[in-house]
Amino acid sequence: MSTRPAEIRKIKPHRVKKTFYETIEPWLFLLPALCVFGVFLYFPFFKTLYLSTFLTNKFGQAKIFYGLKNYADILYGKYSREFWNSIWVTVRFVFFVAGGGLLVGLCTSLITVNKFPGKALASAIYAMPIAIASSAAAMSFKMILHKSIGLLNHLLGTSINWLSDTTWTFPIICILSIWLASGINFIFIGAGLRNIPEELYESAAIDGAGYWKKLRNITLPCLSPTLFFQIIVNIINAFQSFTLVKLLTSGGPQEKTNLIVYSIYLDAFRNFRFGTAAARSIVLFVIIMVITLLQFSTEKRSVHY
Amino acid sequence: MTLSLTRRQRKALGKLGAILINLPFVFLIMIPLLYTFMMSVMPADELYSRFWPSHADFSSYLSVFTKTMIPRHILNSFIVAGSVTILQMITCSMAAFSFSFLEFRGRNFVFMCILATMMVPWEATIIANYLTVSTWGWLDSYRVLILPYGCSAMGVFLMRQNYLTFAKELHEAAKLDGCSNWRFLATIVIPLARPALGALGAYVFLLQWNQYLWPLLVTNSDRVRTVQIGVSQMYDIDSESIALMMSAVIVVLIPSLSIFVFMQKQLINGLMAGAVKG
Repeated sequence: MSTRPAEIRKIKPHRVKKTFYETIEPWLFLLPALCVFGVFLYFPFFKTLYLSTFLTNKFGQAKIFYGLKNYADILYGKYSREFWNSIWVTVRFVFFVAGGGLLVGLCTSLITVNKFPGKALASAIYAMPIAIASSAAAMSFKMILHKSIGLLNHLLGTSINWLSDTTWTFPIICILSIWLASGINFIFIGAGLRNIPEELYESAAIDGAGYWKKLRNITLPCLSPTLFFQIIVNIINAFQSFTLVKLLTSGGPQEKTNLIVYSIYLDAFRNFRFGTAAARSIVLFVIIMVITLLQFSTEKRSVHY
Repeated sequence: MTLSLTRRQRKALGKLGAILINLPFVFLIMIPLLYTFMMSVMPADELYSRFWPSHADFSSYLSVFTKTMIPRHILNSFIVAGSVTILQMITCSMAAFSFSFLEFRGRNFVFMCILATMMVPWEATIIANYLTVSTWGWLDSYRVLILPYGCSAMGVFLMRQNYLTFAKELHEAAKLDGCSNWRFLATIVIPLARPALGALGAYVFLLQWNQYLWPLLVTNSDRVRTVQIGVSQMYDIDSESIALMMSAVIVVLIPSLSIFVFMQKQLINGLMAGAVKG
Protein backbone atom coordinates (compact mmCIF):
# COMPACT_ATOMS: atom_id res chain seq x y z
CA MET A 1 0.00 0.00 0.00
CA SER A 2 2.61 2.46 1.02
CA THR A 3 4.51 2.02 -2.22
CA ARG A 4 1.58 3.22 -4.33
CA PRO A 5 1.47 6.85 -5.44
CA ALA A 6 -0.85 9.00 -3.37
CA GLU A 7 -3.23 9.80 -6.28
CA ILE A 8 -4.10 6.19 -6.87
CA ARG A 9 -4.80 5.63 -3.24
CA LYS A 10 -7.10 8.63 -3.34
CA ILE A 11 -9.30 7.45 -6.21
CA LYS A 12 -9.45 3.92 -4.94
CA PRO A 13 -12.97 3.55 -3.58
CA HIS A 14 -12.55 2.99 0.09
CA ARG A 15 -14.95 0.61 1.69
CA VAL A 16 -17.00 2.18 4.45
CA LYS A 17 -18.29 -0.34 6.88
CA LYS A 18 -22.05 -0.53 6.55
CA THR A 19 -24.07 0.14 9.64
CA PHE A 20 -26.48 -2.55 10.80
CA TYR A 21 -29.41 -0.58 9.45
CA GLU A 22 -27.79 -0.17 6.04
CA THR A 23 -27.26 -3.92 5.85
CA ILE A 24 -30.87 -4.77 6.52
CA GLU A 25 -32.46 -1.87 4.66
CA PRO A 26 -32.64 -3.63 1.27
CA TRP A 27 -34.47 -6.48 2.98
CA LEU A 28 -36.93 -4.09 4.59
CA PHE A 29 -37.90 -2.87 1.13
CA LEU A 30 -38.33 -6.47 0.04
CA LEU A 31 -40.19 -7.61 3.12
CA PRO A 32 -43.82 -7.12 2.01
CA ALA A 33 -43.16 -8.78 -1.36
CA LEU A 34 -41.28 -11.68 0.20
CA CYS A 35 -44.08 -12.22 2.74
CA VAL A 36 -46.70 -12.49 0.00
CA PHE A 37 -44.57 -14.80 -2.16
CA GLY A 38 -43.53 -16.87 0.81
CA VAL A 39 -46.96 -17.36 2.32
CA PHE A 40 -49.10 -17.63 -0.81
CA LEU A 41 -46.71 -19.11 -3.39
CA TYR A 42 -43.69 -20.91 -2.00
CA PHE A 43 -45.38 -22.36 1.05
CA PRO A 44 -48.46 -23.67 -0.83
CA PHE A 45 -46.21 -25.02 -3.56
CA PHE A 46 -44.32 -27.19 -1.10
CA LYS A 47 -47.53 -27.98 0.72
CA THR A 48 -48.98 -29.22 -2.58
CA LEU A 49 -45.95 -31.47 -3.03
CA TYR A 50 -46.42 -32.72 0.53
CA LEU A 51 -50.17 -33.30 0.11
CA SER A 52 -49.60 -35.20 -3.10
CA THR A 53 -47.93 -37.97 -1.08
CA PHE A 54 -50.80 -38.35 1.40
CA LEU A 55 -54.34 -39.57 1.64
CA THR A 56 -56.45 -36.82 3.21
CA ASN A 57 -59.68 -36.64 5.11
CA LYS A 58 -62.44 -34.48 3.69
CA PHE A 59 -61.13 -31.40 5.44
CA GLY A 60 -57.90 -31.76 3.51
CA GLN A 61 -55.79 -32.84 6.46
CA ALA A 62 -53.02 -35.23 5.51
CA LYS A 63 -53.84 -38.51 7.25
CA ILE A 64 -52.10 -41.51 5.77
CA PHE A 65 -48.72 -41.40 4.08
CA TYR A 66 -49.27 -42.73 0.60
CA GLY A 67 -45.90 -42.18 -1.05
CA LEU A 68 -46.13 -41.87 -4.80
CA LYS A 69 -49.32 -43.90 -4.96
CA ASN A 70 -51.45 -40.81 -5.66
CA TYR A 71 -49.38 -40.36 -8.80
CA ALA A 72 -49.69 -44.05 -9.60
CA ASP A 73 -53.46 -43.79 -9.10
CA ILE A 74 -53.82 -41.03 -11.66
CA LEU A 75 -51.12 -42.17 -14.09
CA TYR A 76 -52.00 -45.86 -14.35
CA GLY A 77 -54.19 -46.76 -11.38
CA LYS A 78 -57.85 -46.41 -10.51
CA TYR A 79 -58.27 -42.81 -11.72
CA SER A 80 -56.06 -43.16 -14.79
CA ARG A 81 -58.86 -43.33 -17.37
CA GLU A 82 -60.38 -40.09 -16.15
CA PHE A 83 -56.96 -38.45 -15.71
CA TRP A 84 -55.66 -39.27 -19.18
CA ASN A 85 -58.98 -38.22 -20.64
CA SER A 86 -58.62 -34.81 -18.99
CA ILE A 87 -55.04 -34.52 -20.26
CA TRP A 88 -56.10 -35.47 -23.78
CA VAL A 89 -59.05 -33.06 -23.71
CA THR A 90 -56.78 -30.29 -22.42
CA VAL A 91 -54.08 -30.92 -25.01
CA ARG A 92 -56.61 -30.80 -27.85
CA PHE A 93 -58.23 -27.71 -26.32
CA VAL A 94 -54.84 -25.99 -25.99
CA PHE A 95 -53.96 -26.90 -29.57
CA PHE A 96 -57.13 -25.41 -31.02
CA VAL A 97 -57.34 -22.37 -28.76
CA ALA A 98 -53.65 -21.42 -29.01
CA GLY A 99 -53.69 -21.89 -32.78
CA GLY A 100 -57.13 -20.37 -33.32
CA GLY A 101 -56.38 -17.37 -31.12
CA LEU A 102 -53.18 -16.79 -33.05
CA LEU A 103 -54.95 -17.09 -36.38
CA VAL A 104 -57.74 -14.66 -35.46
CA GLY A 105 -55.19 -12.23 -33.99
CA LEU A 106 -53.06 -12.49 -37.13
CA CYS A 107 -56.03 -11.89 -39.44
CA THR A 108 -57.41 -8.96 -37.47
CA SER A 109 -54.01 -7.30 -37.17
CA LEU A 110 -53.20 -7.82 -40.86
CA ILE A 111 -56.45 -6.21 -42.00
CA THR A 112 -55.93 -3.18 -39.77
CA VAL A 113 -52.36 -2.52 -40.86
CA ASN A 114 -53.19 0.06 -43.53
CA LYS A 115 -55.10 3.26 -42.92
CA PHE A 116 -58.83 3.31 -43.60
CA PRO A 117 -61.78 5.23 -42.17
CA GLY A 118 -62.88 3.52 -38.94
CA LYS A 119 -59.51 1.87 -38.32
CA ALA A 120 -59.35 3.11 -34.73
CA LEU A 121 -62.80 1.75 -33.95
CA ALA A 122 -62.13 -1.60 -35.58
CA SER A 123 -58.82 -1.93 -33.69
CA ALA A 124 -60.53 -1.13 -30.40
CA ILE A 125 -63.16 -3.77 -31.06
CA TYR A 126 -60.58 -6.43 -31.94
CA ALA A 127 -58.68 -5.71 -28.72
CA MET A 128 -61.81 -5.51 -26.56
CA PRO A 129 -62.09 -9.17 -25.48
CA ILE A 130 -59.06 -8.64 -23.18
CA ALA A 131 -61.31 -6.59 -20.91
CA ILE A 132 -64.14 -9.12 -20.78
CA ALA A 133 -64.43 -11.52 -17.87
CA SER A 134 -65.00 -15.10 -18.92
CA SER A 135 -67.62 -15.49 -16.19
CA ALA A 136 -69.76 -12.57 -17.38
CA ALA A 137 -69.25 -13.67 -20.99
CA ALA A 138 -70.30 -17.20 -20.05
CA MET A 139 -73.72 -15.89 -19.03
CA SER A 140 -74.22 -14.32 -22.47
CA PHE A 141 -72.99 -17.45 -24.18
CA LYS A 142 -75.48 -19.49 -22.19
CA MET A 143 -78.28 -17.43 -23.68
CA ILE A 144 -76.83 -17.39 -27.19
CA LEU A 145 -76.46 -21.16 -27.14
CA HIS A 146 -79.76 -21.92 -25.41
CA LYS A 147 -81.65 -24.76 -27.06
CA SER A 148 -85.04 -23.13 -27.51
CA ILE A 149 -84.53 -19.35 -27.24
CA GLY A 150 -80.85 -18.99 -28.17
CA LEU A 151 -79.57 -16.87 -31.02
CA LEU A 152 -77.46 -19.56 -32.66
CA ASN A 153 -80.26 -22.08 -33.10
CA HIS A 154 -82.49 -19.25 -34.24
CA LEU A 155 -80.04 -18.19 -36.95
CA LEU A 156 -79.28 -21.72 -38.09
CA GLY A 157 -82.85 -22.94 -37.81
CA THR A 158 -81.67 -25.89 -35.71
CA SER A 159 -82.49 -26.99 -32.20
CA ILE A 160 -79.20 -28.37 -31.00
CA ASN A 161 -78.37 -28.44 -27.34
CA TRP A 162 -74.95 -26.88 -27.91
CA LEU A 163 -73.73 -27.27 -24.36
CA SER A 164 -74.60 -30.92 -23.81
CA ASP A 165 -74.24 -32.37 -27.26
CA THR A 166 -71.37 -34.85 -27.52
CA THR A 167 -70.27 -33.61 -30.95
CA TRP A 168 -70.73 -29.87 -30.56
CA THR A 169 -69.83 -28.97 -27.01
CA PHE A 170 -66.06 -29.28 -27.32
CA PRO A 171 -65.77 -27.19 -30.51
CA ILE A 172 -68.13 -24.60 -29.02
CA ILE A 173 -66.01 -24.23 -25.88
CA CYS A 174 -62.93 -23.88 -28.10
CA ILE A 175 -64.57 -21.19 -30.22
CA LEU A 176 -65.71 -19.19 -27.19
CA SER A 177 -62.20 -19.44 -25.71
CA ILE A 178 -60.69 -18.28 -29.00
CA TRP A 179 -63.04 -15.32 -28.93
CA LEU A 180 -61.84 -14.41 -25.43
CA ALA A 181 -58.17 -14.92 -26.39
CA SER A 182 -58.39 -13.00 -29.67
CA GLY A 183 -57.92 -9.58 -28.03
CA ILE A 184 -54.50 -10.19 -26.56
CA ASN A 185 -53.37 -11.90 -29.77
CA PHE A 186 -54.48 -8.88 -31.78
CA ILE A 187 -52.56 -6.51 -29.50
CA PHE A 188 -49.28 -8.41 -29.52
CA ILE A 189 -49.27 -9.39 -33.18
CA GLY A 190 -50.32 -5.84 -34.12
CA ALA A 191 -47.36 -4.48 -32.13
CA GLY A 192 -45.08 -6.97 -33.87
CA LEU A 193 -46.36 -5.89 -37.29
CA ARG A 194 -45.65 -2.24 -36.58
CA ASN A 195 -42.05 -3.13 -35.75
CA ILE A 196 -41.31 -4.49 -39.23
CA PRO A 197 -39.14 -1.91 -41.02
CA GLU A 198 -41.04 -0.12 -43.79
CA GLU A 199 -37.98 -0.21 -46.10
CA LEU A 200 -38.35 -3.96 -46.55
CA TYR A 201 -41.77 -3.47 -48.13
CA GLU A 202 -40.58 -0.54 -50.22
CA SER A 203 -37.74 -2.49 -51.76
CA ALA A 204 -40.03 -5.48 -52.32
CA ALA A 205 -42.53 -3.19 -54.07
CA ILE A 206 -39.77 -1.98 -56.37
CA ASP A 207 -39.05 -5.60 -57.23
CA GLY A 208 -42.73 -5.92 -58.12
CA ALA A 209 -43.76 -8.24 -55.31
CA GLY A 210 -47.52 -8.58 -54.79
CA TYR A 211 -49.43 -8.67 -51.50
CA TRP A 212 -49.22 -12.42 -50.88
CA LYS A 213 -45.58 -12.60 -51.83
CA LYS A 214 -44.78 -9.79 -49.39
CA LEU A 215 -46.83 -11.51 -46.73
CA ARG A 216 -45.03 -14.80 -47.21
CA ASN A 217 -41.50 -13.48 -47.69
CA ILE A 218 -41.39 -10.43 -45.42
CA THR A 219 -44.29 -10.20 -42.98
CA LEU A 220 -44.45 -13.76 -41.70
CA PRO A 221 -40.68 -14.32 -41.34
CA CYS A 222 -40.24 -10.96 -39.58
CA LEU A 223 -43.21 -11.74 -37.39
CA SER A 224 -42.08 -15.23 -36.44
CA PRO A 225 -40.51 -14.28 -33.08
CA THR A 226 -43.73 -12.48 -32.11
CA LEU A 227 -45.86 -15.39 -33.26
CA PHE A 228 -43.71 -17.86 -31.38
CA PHE A 229 -43.86 -15.80 -28.19
CA GLN A 230 -47.59 -15.33 -28.57
CA ILE A 231 -48.34 -18.99 -29.12
CA ILE A 232 -46.46 -19.84 -25.93
CA VAL A 233 -48.51 -17.24 -24.05
CA ASN A 234 -51.65 -18.76 -25.58
CA ILE A 235 -50.62 -22.28 -24.61
CA ILE A 236 -49.89 -21.30 -21.01
CA ASN A 237 -53.18 -19.40 -20.73
CA ALA A 238 -55.19 -22.20 -22.33
CA PHE A 239 -53.77 -24.82 -19.97
CA GLN A 240 -55.15 -22.74 -17.10
CA SER A 241 -58.70 -22.37 -18.52
CA PHE A 242 -61.47 -23.12 -16.08
CA THR A 243 -64.31 -20.60 -15.98
CA LEU A 244 -66.14 -21.37 -19.23
CA VAL A 245 -66.13 -25.10 -18.54
CA LYS A 246 -67.25 -24.61 -14.96
CA LEU A 247 -70.15 -22.36 -15.91
CA LEU A 248 -71.23 -23.82 -19.23
CA THR A 249 -70.62 -27.56 -19.32
CA SER A 250 -69.41 -28.79 -15.89
CA GLY A 251 -66.84 -30.82 -17.81
CA GLY A 252 -69.49 -32.70 -19.74
CA PRO A 253 -71.00 -34.22 -21.70
CA GLN A 254 -69.25 -37.49 -20.89
CA GLU A 255 -66.17 -35.60 -19.67
CA LYS A 256 -65.57 -34.29 -23.16
CA THR A 257 -64.72 -30.84 -21.81
CA ASN A 258 -63.09 -31.95 -18.56
CA LEU A 259 -60.07 -29.62 -18.69
CA ILE A 260 -57.25 -30.31 -16.25
CA VAL A 261 -57.93 -27.33 -13.95
CA TYR A 262 -61.57 -28.33 -13.81
CA SER A 263 -60.56 -31.91 -12.94
CA ILE A 264 -58.41 -30.55 -10.08
CA TYR A 265 -61.39 -28.55 -8.88
CA LEU A 266 -63.70 -31.58 -9.05
CA ASP A 267 -61.23 -33.86 -7.34
CA ALA A 268 -60.65 -31.50 -4.44
CA PHE A 269 -63.95 -29.75 -3.92
CA ARG A 270 -66.49 -32.32 -5.09
CA ASN A 271 -64.81 -35.64 -4.30
CA PHE A 272 -62.65 -34.32 -1.43
CA ARG A 273 -59.63 -36.23 -2.71
CA PHE A 274 -57.10 -33.52 -1.95
CA GLY A 275 -54.17 -35.92 -2.35
CA THR A 276 -54.81 -36.83 -5.97
CA ALA A 277 -55.90 -33.24 -6.68
CA ALA A 278 -52.49 -32.12 -5.41
CA ALA A 279 -50.81 -34.71 -7.62
CA ARG A 280 -52.75 -33.36 -10.62
CA SER A 281 -51.66 -29.84 -9.65
CA ILE A 282 -48.04 -30.93 -9.72
CA VAL A 283 -48.56 -32.42 -13.17
CA LEU A 284 -50.00 -29.09 -14.32
CA PHE A 285 -47.06 -27.27 -12.79
CA VAL A 286 -44.56 -29.53 -14.56
CA ILE A 287 -46.31 -28.99 -17.90
CA ILE A 288 -46.26 -25.20 -17.54
CA MET A 289 -42.65 -25.25 -16.35
CA VAL A 290 -41.50 -27.35 -19.30
CA ILE A 291 -43.26 -25.02 -21.75
CA THR A 292 -41.75 -21.94 -20.11
CA LEU A 293 -38.25 -23.42 -20.18
CA LEU A 294 -38.79 -24.49 -23.78
CA GLN A 295 -39.64 -20.91 -24.65
CA PHE A 296 -36.57 -19.73 -22.79
CA SER A 297 -34.20 -22.03 -24.61
CA THR A 298 -35.65 -21.63 -28.12
CA GLU A 299 -36.33 -17.92 -28.00
CA LYS A 300 -32.93 -16.92 -29.35
CA ARG A 301 -32.82 -19.61 -32.01
CA SER A 302 -36.25 -18.89 -33.44
CA VAL A 303 -35.50 -15.34 -34.58
CA HIS A 304 -35.61 -15.20 -38.36
CA TYR A 305 -34.43 -11.79 -39.45
CA MET B 1 -58.23 -2.98 -65.58
CA THR B 2 -56.24 -1.93 -62.53
CA LEU B 3 -53.64 -0.34 -64.75
CA SER B 4 -56.14 2.19 -66.03
CA LEU B 5 -56.91 3.45 -62.51
CA THR B 6 -55.06 6.47 -61.19
CA ARG B 7 -53.00 6.21 -58.07
CA ARG B 8 -55.62 8.03 -56.07
CA GLN B 9 -58.43 5.81 -57.30
CA ARG B 10 -56.43 2.76 -56.40
CA LYS B 11 -55.89 4.09 -52.90
CA ALA B 12 -59.61 4.76 -52.48
CA LEU B 13 -60.37 1.27 -53.71
CA GLY B 14 -57.89 -0.13 -51.19
CA LYS B 15 -59.61 1.73 -48.37
CA LEU B 16 -63.01 0.51 -49.45
CA GLY B 17 -61.65 -3.02 -49.58
CA ALA B 18 -60.22 -2.64 -46.07
CA ILE B 19 -63.58 -1.50 -44.75
CA LEU B 20 -65.41 -4.35 -46.46
CA ILE B 21 -63.03 -6.97 -45.13
CA ASN B 22 -63.14 -5.53 -41.60
CA LEU B 23 -66.93 -5.41 -41.36
CA PRO B 24 -67.55 -9.16 -40.92
CA PHE B 25 -64.73 -9.45 -38.38
CA VAL B 26 -66.01 -6.49 -36.36
CA PHE B 27 -69.47 -7.98 -36.49
CA LEU B 28 -68.32 -11.44 -35.37
CA ILE B 29 -66.35 -10.08 -32.41
CA MET B 30 -69.17 -7.76 -31.39
CA ILE B 31 -72.09 -10.19 -31.72
CA PRO B 32 -72.02 -11.56 -28.15
CA LEU B 33 -72.03 -8.07 -26.66
CA LEU B 34 -74.63 -6.68 -29.06
CA TYR B 35 -76.89 -9.63 -28.40
CA THR B 36 -76.46 -9.32 -24.64
CA PHE B 37 -77.38 -5.66 -24.81
CA MET B 38 -80.35 -6.39 -27.03
CA MET B 39 -81.67 -9.02 -24.65
CA SER B 40 -81.19 -6.68 -21.71
CA VAL B 41 -83.56 -4.09 -23.19
CA MET B 42 -86.05 -6.60 -24.61
CA PRO B 43 -89.52 -6.08 -23.13
CA ALA B 44 -90.55 -9.23 -21.24
CA ASP B 45 -93.63 -10.00 -23.36
CA GLU B 46 -91.65 -10.00 -26.63
CA LEU B 47 -88.98 -12.42 -25.51
CA TYR B 48 -90.29 -15.59 -27.09
CA SER B 49 -92.13 -14.04 -30.00
CA ARG B 50 -89.73 -11.47 -31.41
CA PHE B 51 -86.11 -11.44 -32.22
CA TRP B 52 -85.52 -7.72 -32.33
CA PRO B 53 -87.12 -5.64 -29.54
CA SER B 54 -89.83 -3.27 -30.75
CA HIS B 55 -88.60 -0.67 -28.29
CA ALA B 56 -85.85 -0.45 -25.69
CA ASP B 57 -87.01 -1.18 -22.16
CA PHE B 58 -84.40 -0.16 -19.63
CA SER B 59 -86.43 -1.13 -16.55
CA SER B 60 -84.39 -4.26 -15.93
CA TYR B 61 -81.30 -2.09 -15.35
CA LEU B 62 -83.20 -0.38 -12.56
CA SER B 63 -84.14 -3.81 -11.20
CA VAL B 64 -80.48 -4.87 -11.16
CA PHE B 65 -79.85 -2.07 -8.70
CA THR B 66 -83.02 -2.40 -6.65
CA LYS B 67 -83.93 -6.09 -6.64
CA THR B 68 -80.63 -7.97 -6.73
CA MET B 69 -77.49 -8.20 -4.66
CA ILE B 70 -75.40 -6.97 -7.60
CA PRO B 71 -74.81 -3.48 -6.11
CA ARG B 72 -73.32 -5.12 -3.03
CA HIS B 73 -71.18 -7.37 -5.20
CA ILE B 74 -70.02 -4.37 -7.20
CA LEU B 75 -69.02 -2.62 -3.99
CA ASN B 76 -67.16 -5.75 -2.85
CA SER B 77 -65.35 -6.03 -6.16
CA PHE B 78 -64.34 -2.38 -6.00
CA ILE B 79 -63.03 -2.85 -2.47
CA VAL B 80 -61.10 -6.00 -3.36
CA ALA B 81 -59.76 -4.92 -6.75
CA GLY B 82 -58.96 -1.43 -5.47
CA SER B 83 -57.11 -2.74 -2.41
CA VAL B 84 -55.13 -5.27 -4.43
CA THR B 85 -54.18 -2.57 -6.92
CA ILE B 86 -52.94 -0.16 -4.24
CA LEU B 87 -51.20 -2.94 -2.33
CA GLN B 88 -49.38 -4.15 -5.43
CA MET B 89 -48.34 -0.63 -6.35
CA ILE B 90 -46.73 -0.31 -2.92
CA THR B 91 -45.13 -3.74 -2.57
CA CYS B 92 -43.88 -3.86 -6.16
CA SER B 93 -42.45 -0.33 -6.02
CA MET B 94 -40.59 -1.15 -2.82
CA ALA B 95 -39.23 -4.49 -3.97
CA ALA B 96 -38.23 -3.07 -7.36
CA PHE B 97 -36.47 -0.18 -5.59
CA SER B 98 -34.40 -2.61 -3.60
CA PHE B 99 -33.47 -4.56 -6.72
CA SER B 100 -32.51 -1.55 -8.82
CA PHE B 101 -31.04 1.04 -6.43
CA LEU B 102 -29.61 -0.89 -3.49
CA GLU B 103 -26.64 -3.22 -3.36
CA PHE B 104 -26.78 -6.29 -1.16
CA ARG B 105 -25.57 -9.81 -1.07
CA GLY B 106 -27.95 -12.30 -2.65
CA ARG B 107 -29.74 -9.66 -4.73
CA ASN B 108 -29.67 -11.59 -7.99
CA PHE B 109 -30.60 -14.81 -6.27
CA VAL B 110 -33.68 -13.31 -4.63
CA PHE B 111 -34.65 -11.65 -7.90
CA MET B 112 -34.43 -14.98 -9.71
CA CYS B 113 -36.52 -16.60 -6.97
CA ILE B 114 -39.23 -14.00 -7.55
CA LEU B 115 -39.10 -14.33 -11.33
CA ALA B 116 -39.28 -18.12 -10.98
CA THR B 117 -42.73 -17.77 -9.38
CA MET B 118 -44.04 -16.83 -12.84
CA MET B 119 -43.63 -20.48 -13.75
CA VAL B 120 -45.98 -21.63 -11.01
CA PRO B 121 -49.56 -21.45 -12.26
CA TRP B 122 -51.84 -20.03 -9.59
CA GLU B 123 -54.23 -22.94 -10.22
CA ALA B 124 -51.53 -25.39 -9.14
CA THR B 125 -51.26 -23.89 -5.65
CA ILE B 126 -54.94 -23.18 -5.19
CA ILE B 127 -55.74 -26.30 -3.17
CA ALA B 128 -52.95 -25.78 -0.67
CA ASN B 129 -53.83 -22.09 -0.42
CA TYR B 130 -57.47 -22.91 0.15
CA LEU B 131 -56.64 -25.40 2.90
CA THR B 132 -54.25 -22.94 4.55
CA VAL B 133 -56.67 -20.02 4.64
CA SER B 134 -59.50 -22.22 5.84
CA THR B 135 -57.46 -23.48 8.80
CA TRP B 136 -56.73 -19.83 9.64
CA GLY B 137 -60.47 -19.14 9.62
CA TRP B 138 -60.03 -16.61 6.84
CA LEU B 139 -62.79 -17.90 4.57
CA ASP B 140 -65.46 -15.45 3.53
CA SER B 141 -63.54 -12.28 4.33
CA TYR B 142 -62.02 -9.43 2.36
CA ARG B 143 -58.49 -10.25 3.45
CA VAL B 144 -58.64 -13.72 1.90
CA LEU B 145 -59.52 -12.10 -1.42
CA ILE B 146 -56.90 -9.35 -1.13
CA LEU B 147 -53.74 -10.54 0.61
CA PRO B 148 -52.84 -13.55 -1.61
CA TYR B 149 -52.65 -11.10 -4.53
CA GLY B 150 -50.68 -8.51 -2.55
CA CYS B 151 -47.67 -8.71 -4.82
CA SER B 152 -46.83 -10.13 -8.23
CA ALA B 153 -43.60 -11.09 -9.96
CA MET B 154 -44.86 -9.33 -13.05
CA GLY B 155 -45.35 -6.11 -11.09
CA VAL B 156 -41.88 -6.26 -9.53
CA PHE B 157 -40.41 -6.96 -12.96
CA LEU B 158 -42.34 -4.12 -14.61
CA MET B 159 -41.33 -1.57 -11.96
CA ARG B 160 -37.71 -2.70 -11.93
CA GLN B 161 -37.42 -2.37 -15.72
CA ASN B 162 -38.75 1.15 -15.31
CA TYR B 163 -36.40 2.13 -12.47
CA LEU B 164 -33.37 0.85 -14.39
CA THR B 165 -33.93 3.63 -16.93
CA PHE B 166 -33.47 6.28 -14.21
CA ALA B 167 -30.03 7.84 -13.84
CA LYS B 168 -28.02 6.42 -10.95
CA GLU B 169 -26.73 9.96 -10.25
CA LEU B 170 -30.19 10.88 -9.05
CA HIS B 171 -29.82 8.47 -6.17
CA GLU B 172 -26.23 9.57 -5.43
CA ALA B 173 -27.23 13.22 -5.36
CA ALA B 174 -30.16 12.56 -3.07
CA LYS B 175 -27.95 10.56 -0.72
CA LEU B 176 -25.41 13.41 -0.54
CA ASP B 177 -28.24 15.76 0.37
CA GLY B 178 -29.04 13.50 3.27
CA CYS B 179 -32.26 12.16 1.76
CA SER B 180 -33.16 8.74 3.15
CA ASN B 181 -33.99 5.91 0.76
CA TRP B 182 -37.60 5.92 1.88
CA ARG B 183 -38.01 9.60 1.15
CA PHE B 184 -36.14 9.22 -2.13
CA LEU B 185 -38.54 6.46 -3.19
CA ALA B 186 -41.64 8.34 -2.11
CA THR B 187 -40.81 11.83 -3.39
CA ILE B 188 -38.60 11.25 -6.43
CA VAL B 189 -38.84 7.71 -7.80
CA ILE B 190 -42.60 7.17 -7.51
CA PRO B 191 -43.57 10.44 -9.21
CA LEU B 192 -41.13 9.65 -12.03
CA ALA B 193 -42.52 6.13 -12.37
CA ARG B 194 -46.14 7.22 -12.73
CA PRO B 195 -46.58 5.79 -16.25
CA ALA B 196 -45.36 2.37 -15.13
CA LEU B 197 -47.54 2.53 -12.03
CA GLY B 198 -50.50 3.39 -14.25
CA ALA B 199 -49.81 0.36 -16.41
CA LEU B 200 -49.49 -1.87 -13.38
CA GLY B 201 -52.63 -0.43 -11.82
CA ALA B 202 -54.85 -0.77 -14.88
CA TYR B 203 -53.70 -4.33 -15.49
CA VAL B 204 -54.01 -5.49 -11.89
CA PHE B 205 -57.41 -3.90 -11.39
CA LEU B 206 -58.78 -5.52 -14.53
CA LEU B 207 -57.38 -8.92 -13.59
CA GLN B 208 -58.92 -8.66 -10.13
CA TRP B 209 -62.26 -7.41 -11.39
CA ASN B 210 -62.47 -10.42 -13.70
CA GLN B 211 -61.23 -12.92 -11.11
CA TYR B 212 -63.41 -16.01 -10.80
CA LEU B 213 -61.89 -19.22 -9.40
CA TRP B 214 -60.43 -17.94 -6.12
CA PRO B 215 -63.49 -15.91 -5.05
CA LEU B 216 -65.66 -18.90 -6.00
CA LEU B 217 -63.75 -21.08 -3.53
CA VAL B 218 -63.31 -18.72 -0.62
CA THR B 219 -66.56 -16.73 -0.46
CA ASN B 220 -70.00 -18.01 0.41
CA SER B 221 -72.00 -15.00 1.51
CA ASP B 222 -73.19 -11.86 -0.24
CA ARG B 223 -71.27 -9.81 2.32
CA VAL B 224 -67.94 -10.35 0.51
CA ARG B 225 -68.96 -12.10 -2.72
CA THR B 226 -67.55 -10.40 -5.82
CA VAL B 227 -69.37 -9.49 -9.03
CA GLN B 228 -68.20 -12.33 -11.22
CA ILE B 229 -69.56 -14.88 -8.78
CA GLY B 230 -72.70 -12.83 -8.22
CA VAL B 231 -73.51 -12.52 -11.89
CA SER B 232 -72.80 -16.16 -12.66
CA GLN B 233 -75.27 -17.24 -9.98
CA MET B 234 -78.10 -15.31 -11.59
CA TYR B 235 -78.76 -17.83 -14.34
CA ASP B 236 -82.47 -18.33 -14.64
CA ILE B 237 -84.53 -18.68 -17.73
CA ASP B 238 -87.91 -17.23 -17.05
CA SER B 239 -88.81 -14.23 -19.15
CA GLU B 240 -88.24 -11.64 -16.47
CA SER B 241 -84.93 -13.09 -15.30
CA ILE B 242 -83.35 -13.12 -18.74
CA ALA B 243 -83.46 -9.36 -19.18
CA LEU B 244 -82.35 -8.94 -15.57
CA MET B 245 -79.46 -11.34 -16.02
CA MET B 246 -78.32 -9.75 -19.27
CA SER B 247 -78.55 -6.26 -17.72
CA ALA B 248 -76.41 -7.48 -14.85
CA VAL B 249 -73.83 -8.80 -17.32
CA ILE B 250 -73.69 -5.39 -19.01
CA VAL B 251 -73.46 -3.57 -15.66
CA VAL B 252 -70.61 -5.82 -14.55
CA LEU B 253 -68.79 -5.30 -17.84
CA ILE B 254 -68.99 -1.50 -17.62
CA PRO B 255 -66.07 -0.96 -15.17
CA SER B 256 -63.72 -3.28 -17.05
CA LEU B 257 -64.73 -1.87 -20.44
CA SER B 258 -64.23 1.67 -19.06
CA ILE B 259 -60.68 0.82 -18.05
CA PHE B 260 -60.20 -0.61 -21.50
CA VAL B 261 -61.53 2.51 -23.21
CA PHE B 262 -60.02 5.20 -21.00
CA MET B 263 -56.75 3.55 -19.97
CA GLN B 264 -56.10 1.50 -23.08
CA LYS B 265 -52.48 2.58 -23.38
CA GLN B 266 -51.63 1.80 -19.75
CA LEU B 267 -53.55 -1.45 -19.90
CA ILE B 268 -51.70 -2.62 -22.98
CA ASN B 269 -48.35 -1.69 -21.44
CA GLY B 270 -49.31 -3.71 -18.39
CA LEU B 271 -50.40 -6.65 -20.53
CA MET B 272 -47.12 -6.58 -22.41
CA ALA B 273 -45.21 -6.77 -19.14
CA GLY B 274 -47.63 -9.35 -17.79
CA ALA B 275 -47.17 -11.73 -20.66
CA VAL B 276 -43.40 -11.79 -20.34
CA LYS B 277 -43.00 -15.18 -18.73
CA GLY B 278 -39.73 -16.34 -17.21
